[in-house]
Amino acid sequence: METTRKKFNLRRFAIATLVLYIVFLIGPIVGLDVPAVYASIKSNPLQLVQFLIIGISNGAIIAIIALGYTMVYGIIELINFAHGDVYMIGVFTSLTVLSLTGTLESKDPAKIVFGLILALIVAIVFCAVLNATIERLAYRRLRNAPRLAPLISAIGMSFIIENIGLMWAAQAWLVPSFGTTGGASQKSFPDMLGILFTSLGWDVNLLASTGIALRLTIKDVMVIVLAVVLMVGLYLFVQRTRLGKAMRATAQNRDAAKMLGIDIDWVITATFLIGGGLAGAAGLMAGLYNNTAWWFMGFRAGLQSFTAAVLGGIGNIAGGMLGGFLIGLLASFSDGYLNARWTNALVFATLVLILLFRPTGLLGEQTGQKA
Amino acid sequence: MKNIRSGITFGIIGGLLTFLFGGWSVAVIGSLMGVGLGMGLSGKLERKNPLEIAKSVLPTALVAGAILVLLSLYQNNFVQEAIGKRPAVEKIVINANLIAFLGTVLFTTLLASLHGLPEKQEQRWKMILLGLLIIAFPFVDKLTALRWTAQIIFALIFVILGLGLNIVVGYAGLLDLGYAAFFAIGAYTTGILSSPQHGIFMNFWLVIWIAAGMAAIWGFMLGAPTLPLRGDYLAIVTLGFGEIVPVLFKNLIDVTIKEPLTCWILPGLFKLFGAKTTMACITLIEHEDLTAGEKGISPIGRPVIPFINYEFQSSNPIPWYFLIIAIILLSVFIIRRLRDSRLGRAWMAIREDELAAAQMGINPVRTKLAAFAMGATFSGFAGAFYASYIAGIFPSVFDFSASIIILCVVILGGIGNINGVIVGGLVIMTADRLFLPALKDFLASLLTHTVLPSISDPVMQLAVKDNANPILYRFLLFGLTLVIMMAVRPEGLLPNAQVRAELHPDETPVVEAETPKTNKAKKG
Repeated sequence: METTRKKFNLRRFAIATLVLYIVFLIGPIVGLDVPAVYASIKSNPLQLVQFLIIGISNGAIIAIIALGYTMVYGIIELINFAHGDVYMIGVFTSLTVLSLTGTLESKDPAKIVFGLILALIVAIVFCAVLNATIERLAYRRLRNAPRLAPLISAIGMSFIIENIGLMWAAQAWLVPSFGTTGGASQKSFPDMLGILFTSLGWDVNLLASTGIALRLTIKDVMVIVLAVVLMVGLYLFVQRTRLGKAMRATAQNRDAAKMLGIDIDWVITATFLIGGGLAGAAGLMAGLYNNTAWWFMGFRAGLQSFTAAVLGGIGNIAGGMLGGFLIGLLASFSDGYLNARWTNALVFATLVLILLFRPTGLLGEQTGQKA
Repeated sequence: MKNIRSGITFGIIGGLLTFLFGGWSVAVIGSLMGVGLGMGLSGKLERKNPLEIAKSVLPTALVAGAILVLLSLYQNNFVQEAIGKRPAVEKIVINANLIAFLGTVLFTTLLASLHGLPEKQEQRWKMILLGLLIIAFPFVDKLTALRWTAQIIFALIFVILGLGLNIVVGYAGLLDLGYAAFFAIGAYTTGILSSPQHGIFMNFWLVIWIAAGMAAIWGFMLGAPTLPLRGDYLAIVTLGFGEIVPVLFKNLIDVTIKEPLTCWILPGLFKLFGAKTTMACITLIEHEDLTAGEKGISPIGRPVIPFINYEFQSSNPIPWYFLIIAIILLSVFIIRRLRDSRLGRAWMAIREDELAAAQMGINPVRTKLAAFAMGATFSGFAGAFYASYIAGIFPSVFDFSASIIILCVVILGGIGNINGVIVGGLVIMTADRLFLPALKDFLASLLTHTVLPSISDPVMQLAVKDNANPILYRFLLFGLTLVIMMAVRPEGLLPNAQVRAELHPDETPVVEAETPKTNKAKKG
């Protein structure tokens, strides 16, 4: 017993050494220059805090999208591939509402606030309905099919929604700011919060008066506050309400829940409605925060938030939030200290590592034969 | 009666296709339609005397041909004017339509009546006929100036990719969403080994094997970490690899590899203990531009036929066409042998039930790795051919959408069925490469001559004009293919009997009765 254990450890040690060697050998290609990063942190420690702020804000958005993945996976064990694209539609919906109400050109604070609230509501409702429609059209009839069938259907749905976004971004008659460059180019999402605060006569950077060389803008605060409100709301909803209880029951055992008189179809539809609504809210937040709208943005966001959901433990709401913030930080530090072009690859590498070494995630429970 | 209905359907579809292409296309479409109709009918008929079968399908063939010619004449005399083009010369019209009619009737009756022969002979004659058609196609295409061959070659590249993915998804049941990565690896291997980028100009006939081997090695290496995963987690991880590989190729433009022990670890240790060193740092590669990033590698060497020293030209697609046909034949041969081998049966056992297969003595690790490596090999072939044919490669070609298009090919044709995948690849890629551009031109000229002048608002006019562009909707097409196929016919157009039985557990006996004998023989 003792010898086998020792041998085993030696092998692990050898593999770990080899992996470390390769990482240090290949690392510099991707910009992993440890001494340079160390020097950069030492010379400018505030930058670290800045990346932390950016990471948490982006992480908040990722966490909200991740909640949609994790809820759907928890209840029907399906990776809703189209979810990231529903979020993209959320960005375009809110941009269109802002444009149609004339908020984009206005400098009147009351009008801007009204426009933003209207955009939030419309984006939430539209994305919720869209997500539930996707479920009705593409997933419901495949609920008892072999497992790969709904996944392939979900990928197809994702393509369809992306294409709808591509078409939407080409409609200059609907939103004049899209311009005539066609749907494939990135569109700008005006910085409405900045305009709002400037028109009120306040400084956008909340730390400007303190003299600290950091930017903590109203956008960061808004995103984080809104995210926390939504998460707490969702948590209370799932834990306290009757429908939330029905959702948890369905997630645990669909057949047993059905026998106890729970309307499974309605519970699943409700899950998709909530997930879609959250994605819509995240769409407005991301648009206001990152100031871009692009038909392909749902793909990257979707993969980051799926990774977040897996990192936190898929099916676990608190885990989804935690994973979101962690992935946001990872992406932000990678953007800052490595190179932005490797961020996606890094997030993927994280996903692969989690799935291989801890498929249940950080907070997940044993989920049986899923991984 | 039922046969006549399918004749009408074929005739209408073929006729509508002539709306888009015009000119001589009707003759080619008519002949191809005849082949399709004949093949389709022969599966449904009873085995009788060939003459009797020919008699019984003749009305169907005549109806199909007549509808085709009527629609084609309508196109030439009315539609052409509506889209602002002059009708074709009368001589061409008469000849083309005559050939179309005769071709439809002849091929339909001929192929259907072959069903009257004994099974083996029927197969052989069908093969011979199809072979002749495949050989004749590029020459007919050149004579009729349709210029379809260059596009068909793309379809055939995707047929090879589909065949490779079919090993992974269809036989071994591992959903791989990053298959384009191996296509990229094959293409980039070719690009690096036969282009001025690194000053290496290897012979194409050697490079194609190196590319296939390289893809196989990477299939093995990327397959290894995914072994413990199943189902959708496997899909996501392969998707991740599929995303990382093009990113790598895009960003390997300034490669510097320093040996870590001398450059990092020892100096770090010395520094830690306060000692000063002047150790030489070993640099393996310094500032090497491996893949030229977004610019892409070009030009890439072309194949040269030895002895007669004929170099393939991009202006003449016919040699390329025959090269890719040869690669497909080789691939089909290898894949058939693999499928019927011990390894192939092990793949299917793993697909059906991994646990049970492992209990029966199949090594799941080795079997799965073999599936990944073999699947990747064929995309290595496709990648090498693609790089050489396009004479330039760009990282954006190999992104997620390419993987999904290949998946579409497999799903549409029929998971696990070689013939199905070939049909699926041809349908999807001809739709993408031939049909959509033609439809775009057709719609554009139709709109300019009908609707657009009546719209007064210039903004709306522009919006209508821009939105009537079907090429914008190509992702929609692929997405719809996946969703609709999954909802309506998850087993694909030409299903593998096993997969079909699995997807429709409640109607198994009916399926057994319906499955034609030929299918079973193919399944092996």
